[in-house]
Amino acid sequence: MNGDRFERWLRNIYETRDEEISCTECFDLVSRFVELEVSGQDAAAEMPQVKQHLNQCPACHAEYEALRDLRRLEEGGEMPSLDDLQNLIP
Amino acid sequence: MVNTRTNEEWLEDLRASGAVQEAALSDLRDLLLRTVLFFFSRNLGDFERLSHMEILQLAEDGAQDALIAVMDHLSDFRGDSKFTTWVYKFGINIALMTARRERWKGRSLEQVSFSADGTVSEWVMQDKSSGLTPDQSAMQSEIRENIREVIEQELTDKQRRVLIMMVFHEVPMDEVARRLDTNRNAIYKMLHDARRKLKNRLQARGFEIDEILATFTVQR
Repeated sequence: MNGDRFERWLRNIYETRDEEISCTECFDLVSRFVELEVSGQDAAAEMPQVKQHLNQCPACHAEYEALRDLRRLEEGGEMPSLDDLQNLIP
Repeated sequence: MVNTRTNEEWLEDLRASGAVQEAALSDLRDLLLRTVLFFFSRNLGDFERLSHMEILQLAEDGAQDALIAVMDHLSDFRGDSKFTTWVYKFGINIALMTARRERWKGRSLEQVSFSADGTVSEWVMQDKSSGLTPDQSAMQSEIRENIREVIEQELTDKQRRVLIMMVFHEVPMDEVARRLDTNRNAIYKMLHDARRKLKNRLQARGFEIDEILATFTVQR
């Protein structure tokens, strides 16, 4: 385990709460969380349990990042076309 | 039409019949295929052994699975986001699981699963003392030893196995769940329980996060 990863893990340990939402609950709420972010609101303050779960769960966090980025592209009118995306596949 | 429907129109059209529903399903499928390909295109390292056509086929299959999942959960949509945002997350979820499965296909987890004690002991024994004062070095050793004790003595076999795989060997969560024939929620719960035990031990020993980080980052 390298230094950065160990530091992240230690932070995760200390940020552990007795009650944390599950991955299913996070999945249920993450679209709202992303919508708040894209509209410029403080999603972490509005939905702290989601933020906490995303910090702890690498799988949910990876999905959240992709969802947020895709939603931002859509918001900016830059949603990639099917052809564009297929051309990105080697 | 894809991006011009309101949330209500999406629901209405998907619940309609005949040509209206067919058009909505076709648009939904197009959105999901783009979502899956978007995720794949950001994670090409997971598909190194596959050809262009094989990756596109995986995307088609993923979009189809996501379409079924969306239709199965349509009544769960509460309208607290754009409908399309809600749809994207189903595509991304399936794309991520597909990508991680491809990355780990053919790789055995036996080695990382059954060397739990060795992994942690080796980690504890690693010499990280260069650049540290004797006090810092002693504190670092004490922290590592406490972590090792919790992992080896306080975690259940399954908690320990999952923690070793994910934290020490960086095996993706969904791959761990698939190999252990369980689900993401169960894996998260095991890791949560493990984190609580580690936190309790470290705090009971009087270690605060800032001093731990200072001890471990001073040498980097």
